[in-house]
Amino acid sequence: MDKLLLLAMNGLIWGLIIALIALGLAIIFGLLDIINLAHGDFFMVGTVLAWATLQTTGSFWLGFLVAPLIGFLLGALIQRVVIEPIHNVAALSIVATFGLSLILQESVRITYGPTPGRILPPIGSTIPLFGVDYEVYRLFAAAVAILAIAGFFVFLHHTKLGTWMRAVRHDPDTSVAMGIPARRVYVLTFAIGFALAAFGGVVAAPITTVDFRGGVDILPFCFMAVIIGGLGNLPGTAAAAILLAVIEGVIQSVADPTVARITSLVLMSAVLLLRPQGLFKGLTR
Amino acid sequence: MSSVSIERSLWVLFAAFMIAVPWLIPALINAFWVSVIAEILIWSLFAASVNLLFGYVGLLSFGQALYFGFGMYGVAIGIQDLGLSFWPAFGLGIVASMAMAFVTGIFAVRLTWHYFAIITVVFSLIFYFLALTNKWLTGGDDGINFTLPPTVNIGGFRLAFTDATFQYFFILVTVALCFWLMQRLIASPLGKAFLAIRDNDVRASLIGLNVYLLRLIAFVLAGFLAGVAGALFAFFGRYASATYMFYHVSGDAVVWAIVGGAGTLLGPLVGTTLFIIVREIVSTHWEHHSLIVGTVAILVVIFAPKGVVGLWNSWTARLDERRTASSGAAKLRTEP
Repeated sequence: MDKLLLLAMNGLIWGLIIALIALGLAIIFGLLDIINLAHGDFFMVGTVLAWATLQTTGSFWLGFLVAPLIGFLLGALIQRVVIEPIHNVAALSIVATFGLSLILQESVRITYGPTPGRILPPIGSTIPLFGVDYEVYRLFAAAVAILAIAGFFVFLHHTKLGTWMRAVRHDPDTSVAMGIPARRVYVLTFAIGFALAAFGGVVAAPITTVDFRGGVDILPFCFMAVIIGGLGNLPGTAAAAILLAVIEGVIQSVADPTVARITSLVLMSAVLLLRPQGLFKGLTR
Repeated sequence: MSSVSIERSLWVLFAAFMIAVPWLIPALINAFWVSVIAEILIWSLFAASVNLLFGYVGLLSFGQALYFGFGMYGVAIGIQDLGLSFWPAFGLGIVASMAMAFVTGIFAVRLTWHYFAIITVVFSLIFYFLALTNKWLTGGDDGINFTLPPTVNIGGFRLAFTDATFQYFFILVTVALCFWLMQRLIASPLGKAFLAIRDNDVRASLIGLNVYLLRLIAFVLAGFLAGVAGALFAFFGRYASATYMFYHVSGDAVVWAIVGGAGTLLGPLVGTTLFIIVREIVSTHWEHHSLIVGTVAILVVIFAPKGVVGLWNSWTARLDERRTASSGAAKLRTEP
């Protein structure tokens, strides 16, 4: 029982981080119609920025500021140079972001190096939980992820920029007619998407490894959360990410990780076939 | 010169070049490039399976590696575990991938667009992980190595892939045959029905086409192309491995097909050639060739959104326009 709770807890924490990353993917997907194959690498860049901040300044905490900021700027730059010229055509976005993914991975391999590294948890202490000494940092990571997700929804619903983003998604033509600078909103959306993934990278860095291939496994998981949560349904996306990770954690308590992965994939295909409009359709506005 | 005659002479040149490769390339560069060209042929057949679905039926599959992998494993398991000879193993690989495409297609083609893309990835990931865990059957990451039986062995007459020239021509003929079949398919009523579904599936169903069944047929045919490619690749490399079932392999084929020109017969061949040649040339000089490959992908979609073949087609169309304009009274084009 303790083992089950422990793995479910790990799943929950991992799910919260994935939710953060998947939200970034969902706004890029929903607003720009861009299928972003580089999104896992945006996360990976976040982990590397956390490592770089720790190396240069000696402080891990500064990474929480530096990584999303650099992510935001990189995202804005990428939107202008790569994404805007392809006019939000989904098929072309696959190729462009595939190229982007290669460039990001290779740049990290050149600068950071090909061998995976680890960041020690910045909070070294442990507390007894479910019969083991549980890392306090994991609980802290969960809290930060929850705060970031909440902050994102507050931004989306209670600021001018957030309202613009929702308006442009709802009806681009009318938004432009009402004087909303749609082009700038597109740049902003992509930049925020990158920043969210990079922030997720910093939060996850002490839990996972820092590796130039670190985004490869994350990517399908995020896409599944977006689809199962329902395209354009942001709370649904977050909920689906958490649900998927917890289910996988629970299955891991009785089977090995690969079997858990296969089971969750089978569940996912069932959801896709039976409820293609998303698991939570009708539950939210 | 009209575009038709340009294209006809290019075809003749291309055919002559492909036949001359085993003698021309070792003389000009070295023998290694013959096998690179053989590999390009196999992968472009794989990219063609993506193109058949996306370019002609409008379904973007991100899971074609599954059928490529089944083609590979059909051959490897057939030879290594069942002791089959060349042709039955080839057949087993193709039948395995088509059967798999049929079973997964029953579910997958109920969905379209984003959902279709995701469910094809999910299916391919399921079998990728299954192949990783069931090491007794698949060898997992390490894969299965096998010794290749001769292709033809009648009396004392033997032909085998150990002869590099025979290997090259076997691959060339098989791939050319598949591309020819695909061209026949697209020109047929079935192919026209595919195009109708791609352009507007609601209208296609309103004129009485069974959209679900037609999509399933296309999916199985794409599985056939991917399966032949996988089987050829297993013969070519004398092994099969689960790594070729990962979604990255499917993604490569999608990129090659779109960069070459989705919805054109030769687009996949052009895209695959471009990427593999860039990779092979740059990787011998520079370790970080991915940077170049990524940049090429981005530049192509920005400057040639219809792919390389699409760029060529619009160029020849402009050429013809100028010709008819300069020949005075524009001749009316009449349907034969």
